[in-house]
Amino acid sequence: MGKIEWAMWANEQALAAGLIYATGGIVGVAGQFRGWQFAAFGIAAGVFVCLLEYPRSKRGKGTSVERTGQYCFTVCVKAFGPLTRNYYVRAFLHAALCVPGGFMLATVLGCVCLGIASLIYLSAAIHGEHWEPILPRTEPTKRVGDSIKEPPQNPPPRPPPELRRKKADKLETAAYDNPMSVTVNE
Amino acid sequence: MSVALKSWRANEGPKHLIVTVWVAVNVCLFWRTFMLYFSGAQYYYLHKMLGLGLCISRASASVLNLNCSLVLLPMCRSLLTFIRGSQRVTGRCVRRLLDKSKTFHVACGVTICIFSVVHVSAHLVNMVSFSVRYSEDFPALNVAQYRGQDPRILIISTVPGVTGVLLVLVLFLMFTASSYCIRVSNYEIFWYTHNLFIVFYIILMVHVAGGALKYQSNVEAHPPGCTHSNLSSWTNHKAAGEKGAEFAGAPQTVCQEEARFQPHFPQTWLWVSAPLCLYCAERLYRFIRSSAAPVTVVSVVSHPCDVVELRMLKSGFKPRPGQYILLNCPSVSSFENHPFTLTTCPTVKNETFGIHLRVLGDWTSSFSQLLLQKPNSSEILPMMQQRRYPTVHVDGPFGSPSEEVFNYEVSLCVAGGIGVTPFACVLQALFDDWRQYKLRRLYFVWVCRDLQSFYWFADLLCGLHERLWRDNRPDYLNVQLYLSNTQRLQSIGEERYRFLSSRLRIGRPKWKLLFQEIGRANQLKRVGVFCCGPKGISKALHTLCNSNPHTGTAFEYNKESFS
Repeated sequence: MGKIEWAMWANEQALAAGLIYATGGIVGVAGQFRGWQFAAFGIAAGVFVCLLEYPRSKRGKGTSVERTGQYCFTVCVKAFGPLTRNYYVRAFLHAALCVPGGFMLATVLGCVCLGIASLIYLSAAIHGEHWEPILPRTEPTKRVGDSIKEPPQNPPPRPPPELRRKKADKLETAAYDNPMSVTVNE
Repeated sequence: MSVALKSWRANEGPKHLIVTVWVAVNVCLFWRTFMLYFSGAQYYYLHKMLGLGLCISRASASVLNLNCSLVLLPMCRSLLTFIRGSQRVTGRCVRRLLDKSKTFHVACGVTICIFSVVHVSAHLVNMVSFSVRYSEDFPALNVAQYRGQDPRILIISTVPGVTGVLLVLVLFLMFTASSYCIRVSNYEIFWYTHNLFIVFYIILMVHVAGGALKYQSNVEAHPPGCTHSNLSSWTNHKAAGEKGAEFAGAPQTVCQEEARFQPHFPQTWLWVSAPLCLYCAERLYRFIRSSAAPVTVVSVVSHPCDVVELRMLKSGFKPRPGQYILLNCPSVSSFENHPFTLTTCPTVKNETFGIHLRVLGDWTSSFSQLLLQKPNSSEILPMMQQRRYPTVHVDGPFGSPSEEVFNYEVSLCVAGGIGVTPFACVLQALFDDWRQYKLRRLYFVWVCRDLQSFYWFADLLCGLHERLWRDNRPDYLNVQLYLSNTQRLQSIGEERYRFLSSRLRIGRPKWKLLFQEIGRANQLKRVGVFCCGPKGISKALHTLCNSNPHTGTAFEYNKESFS
């Protein structure tokens, strides 16, 4: 099967579950059903989970694709240090957040989906994964210029001065007399 | 501008037409079902109990029926390959629509998710209504056992409730594993969760057989809103007061008998069974076809830049240039099937077919290690030594947009890196016999990051060029090679590849200039543009195809899509 990054799937699930949780909470509060306080908690928990899960983690191997506009969320989540880096913490946090949703009809689905996401995060944590922020590269890459010709850094090699002196007796060929033999470049 | 319209119509028109028809059918179905439950006589009492939730849940259920049946059809790959291959029956328009089958599958899938959310919300409201408006007059209509029963108990204790929850969970797993990110990084998660679709469909069949919502079966004998001498004041008051306007002239009719209620025949079975059987038959056919004839590995050649060429032999295997196969190697992984475009098709002279695979992920690296175990593997082995190669199963061939290259008079093929493989097969087919095709001119643009990549098909390109020169068609093939990595000065030094080294350019191609050149040289023609490469290139080409404002040339865009 190879090395699967469970955390990526858990991240997608948790984001979707957060949305479902918040939607269920809105429906519960709007209808003023019995137990609407649980629905209000569901909205808050759903929004919190969405904010926490929005920034994607950097992949262990390969290119990471960011979500649009995730940089500010990355900075916020990174500020919590080991709390957000560790996936055990996330697994237990999601498990704890989903429990109150089970007490109200509208948020039941959000509760179950967040529970599944929490289980997958647990699996990711057992496999030793952790959250890495995707930060833009700070140093700019060296631009080679539009022309591919690089100017030479050193002057061409010159023979020692005694060879450079042209022979005076062969004046007509002196101009074309090369001090060093010129060979074709391999 | 009118030319761009012609291109746009050829590129986008049929696609948008199909989408419009599909959306119209969905809206029509939703509306008809909604009105049926809103004002149908046989649902009168049920509607009074449940209200709007009934109409919305049933209407979304009918849209779900349609989409659950349509979502399977684009995935019947062998059937689509057959339709694509029968060129006399189907026109180019239909074949180009088949390129978009995966997009249509995704659209139906997303619609299923959205309408499931609507359906579930409406049914949750129905559960509350069943509990709060428990009807003593028509006990057969009730799902709750007593007034005020907790709706969550209703979900757990009824068949539709439990199966509905399971369906939502399966759909949740399938949906969250299908995002582009996961497909690119961990394809196995996507594949294994998506194969839960069979569980989804089985539970769906049970879900609709629950029979929670009933219709009144004796509407003639008991018109809704009629008065009954033994009936409670509830119905009499309601019928006389509120609904008097609806049943003008009939509120005072006397009921001849008690209202009788019956659950529906599960309509979903009719919608879903045919596509499901078709898809299961297709999978069975593919399995039988791939395991019937054994595949022998003839040779393995290692190329620069982590590419391995594999030549195989299978009896009765007749692919067309441009098609792809699914390779399965049980020694590496029993269930994984990986797609590879064929780079050589079997001909009369040489019956082997070949693929070029680039070693990128874990499956390809284990597979190539198994293949390249021997020290010198670049020769064709005698029969007795072939047992050292791992067994390989080949599923396919499946059609792809690149098959259309031969059906245009002028084609432009743009390849990025290893995306050259479908065009390599095209070039090989032209090398064997270029006269039998409609194609008159081929522009071949290959963009690579590394110079060594061009050596994969250097011999093929030079050979084809020489063949065409000998046959007095020097303008048939126009090759442009681009090296997008500008860090070092590189060139192809070998004497026999002089053809390529003189066509090698450093830097990225300028598409606009290329299109202008092609447009000027091929006026009033229809040029097929084929792209197999990174998203940036294909997007740029797509916009240029739709918006080229010059000469009377129409550019038709065909894109080969990877997962």
